[in-house]
Amino acid sequence: MSDTLEVRIWRGGAEGGLVHYNVPRQASQTVLDVVTWVQRNDDPSLAYRFACRVGMCGSCAMTVNGRPRWTCRTHVDKVTDGDSLTIEPLGNVPVIKDLAADMTPFFEKWQSARGRFHGAATRRDAYARIKPDSPARQTANAHVECINCAVCYSACDVVSWRKEYLGPAALNRAWVAFNDERDAHLGYVLRSVAVNGGCMSCHTHQSCTQHCPVGLDPSAAIAGLKKALSRAYLSGRLKLS
Amino acid sequence: MNIERHDTDVLIIGSGGAGLFAALHAHQANPELDITVAAKGLLGKCGCTRMVQGGYNVAIADGDSIERHFMDSIVGGKWLPDQRLAWRLVETAVERIHELENEVGCFFDRNPDGTMHQKAFAGQSFDRTVHKGDLTGIEIINRLLEQIWSRNIARLEEHRAVSLICTTDGASVAGVLFIDMRTGDLRFVRARSVLMAAGGGPTMYRYHTPSGDKACDGMAMALRAGLALRDMEMVQFHPTGLLAGRDTRMTGTVLEEGLRGAGGHLLNGEGTRFMFDYHEHGERATRDIVSRSIYKEMRDGRTTPNGGVYIEMKHLGPEKVAQQFKGMVTRCADCGFDLAGDRVEVVPTAHYMMGGVVFDEDCTTDLHGLFLAGEDTGGVHGANRLGGNGVANSTVFGGIAGERMAAFVRDEGLRDPDEDALAEAAADCLRPFDATGGNLNELRLQLQDLMWDKVGILRDETTLTAAISDLDALGETLERTGIADAGRAFNLTWHDWLNLDSQILISKTIARAALARENSRGAHYREDFPDTGELESSRYTVIRKSDTGLSFDTEPVDFCIVKPGKSLIEDEAGAPPTAGMGGRR
Repeated sequence: MSDTLEVRIWRGGAEGGLVHYNVPRQASQTVLDVVTWVQRNDDPSLAYRFACRVGMCGSCAMTVNGRPRWTCRTHVDKVTDGDSLTIEPLGNVPVIKDLAADMTPFFEKWQSARGRFHGAATRRDAYARIKPDSPARQTANAHVECINCAVCYSACDVVSWRKEYLGPAALNRAWVAFNDERDAHLGYVLRSVAVNGGCMSCHTHQSCTQHCPVGLDPSAAIAGLKKALSRAYLSGRLKLS
Repeated sequence: MNIERHDTDVLIIGSGGAGLFAALHAHQANPELDITVAAKGLLGKCGCTRMVQGGYNVAIADGDSIERHFMDSIVGGKWLPDQRLAWRLVETAVERIHELENEVGCFFDRNPDGTMHQKAFAGQSFDRTVHKGDLTGIEIINRLLEQIWSRNIARLEEHRAVSLICTTDGASVAGVLFIDMRTGDLRFVRARSVLMAAGGGPTMYRYHTPSGDKACDGMAMALRAGLALRDMEMVQFHPTGLLAGRDTRMTGTVLEEGLRGAGGHLLNGEGTRFMFDYHEHGERATRDIVSRSIYKEMRDGRTTPNGGVYIEMKHLGPEKVAQQFKGMVTRCADCGFDLAGDRVEVVPTAHYMMGGVVFDEDCTTDLHGLFLAGEDTGGVHGANRLGGNGVANSTVFGGIAGERMAAFVRDEGLRDPDEDALAEAAADCLRPFDATGGNLNELRLQLQDLMWDKVGILRDETTLTAAISDLDALGETLERTGIADAGRAFNLTWHDWLNLDSQILISKTIARAALARENSRGAHYREDFPDTGELESSRYTVIRKSDTGLSFDTEPVDFCIVKPGKSLIEDEAGAPPTAGMGGRR
């Protein structure tokens, strides 16, 4: 390990290539810091996206040495191959410029998987008393803290094969909705994920769970949806279209 | 110069708690309205509401009351808050939290009996902070985002607002000039009403907590448009930001207050605990006292290798610490530090701006058509903001603004902009490409050093006077500092330049107000004037743009609800003020 990182960074849009930079190695240095160093000290035209710096906003995900990661919370020591680091934009979404990706398809799929709460109560009503240890609430809690960074979406093989596949984050959100006893449109959740490209498309490779930076298990969420959907078909509550 | 143009009814700048709530409420008031939300980053993913760890203060528990929440906020704000604004905050927070739970669908933590769990937070006489673990902001913003996405609300993502453009007579706002950051093109959006909810964020300090996109753009635009800023000397410092060197964006990010509350020790560079030398509550003293004490240790040279102090938790049992503070311990571990078992370097870090644009409780301003909400505003928190009142502020006033704007546009047409002003604003934001040479990074470091050293935690006349002339010089240097015009699309360096422009202007207002306030209140501490001053005759600072730069004034605080020395809950036990870290119960 030397005091210089050999960094290759994707430059360009859909067409482009890797450009080499030498970046001084520091004791405390994340992948985002490497990218920032290049923009501030070597090439001011380098484009990338970040915001919060602490793993809350999910803006800074990139592909680092071949794997999708949150760059603000990834220390270079954990990912460098010797001294070399290759940084590319997130996969499975279009590139805007350099390391900045277009997240539109990811968020559109989030919405189409019934990713929105429909409450029956209003701001003038008392709030629902919900036991924190009820199974549904515990399931929802285990899946709700997603930062929508799209690392799982980028890691998913099925997304790369089937453009219509909703992907792990959107389905994980649907599973939270399915377990939300306050939701007045619960019945619609399963319809939303029963579509072509819905939860049944998942091959359970579990790349999503393996890569999720905040330790969620979207794979388990999708398994839960598949089970619930199968039950609904078998009981006749949902008709195959 | 080519400027793309389009029109909208309600234009919202910012997509934090204030901006998203404004969009939601405007849409609910009239779904036919054309509503546009513009954000400097991705919708809901930039800005600071998302980063809220603590939670949401609201008086909904048995035995609590909005009067008690109000008194805590006034006493905590050292009697400087605008009492009508503070009352509106605590009163409307009750409805807003029910809306977040019942209509928006937020998951908030529960007690075993199914009621909302409300935790103790510093400076409050009751346990009233509603939360979702220690990631409350993500929950609020994610659920709000889904509501916005699913409605017919237009989005201008990665659009940086650069100037409020008024009508030719200067009496009304006509629209906003933006840079489409993805293409580098300019876009003028004409609007029947405009909400400025860009958020504050004291990122001009060497150590700071806010999101990296924050640069006080909103306050700078409002000041340039002729609006007044109040309480600008009031910058809140959090005592424990991570310290990992100058070249990492990790530096300055918050290590939560609960670490000290749970019994964490602060040690100086010599390995000695020092907080009891300064205050009887030791590490559990309030944010301002701990920040000042750490700063004194640093100034006296008793520092760690990176120039701060240590926080140490291991005496509480590393496993217990790892369990109780999972998020913090994991974050430190990701960055190479062992918070549970070893010492971690920390430093006080600039966190929040209590000061901001003068506005009314219905979010209107002196400029017809312009509304304000969130951290861009001043007066809600006075000299100090209670933890948990920040997200309440943005969501309460954002919602009010949305309703008010929907009503306002019923009788308002689109107004034509002053075309000369528009052309000038467009030329202004392109001027970095006209200059050559200079070192932008060096300028940023200079600004952060001078604000930290001279306008920071401890201030006096000498340092503040020097800062004011330094800031003038820095502004002039920035004008001579150029950027290569090698493509304007997603050009972060261009935006670094524009960030510095906003930051230097707002830094000037902070230094100017700090020099004028010759007493020590809340977040503002003058070593040459350490006394609080008489509360009954309290005045707040006001800064406006003038022909020669900035003009300064003060206004008396209107104690329209409660006077210093009085309380709305005098007969109740446990009434504020409180000094410790926790609340009652």
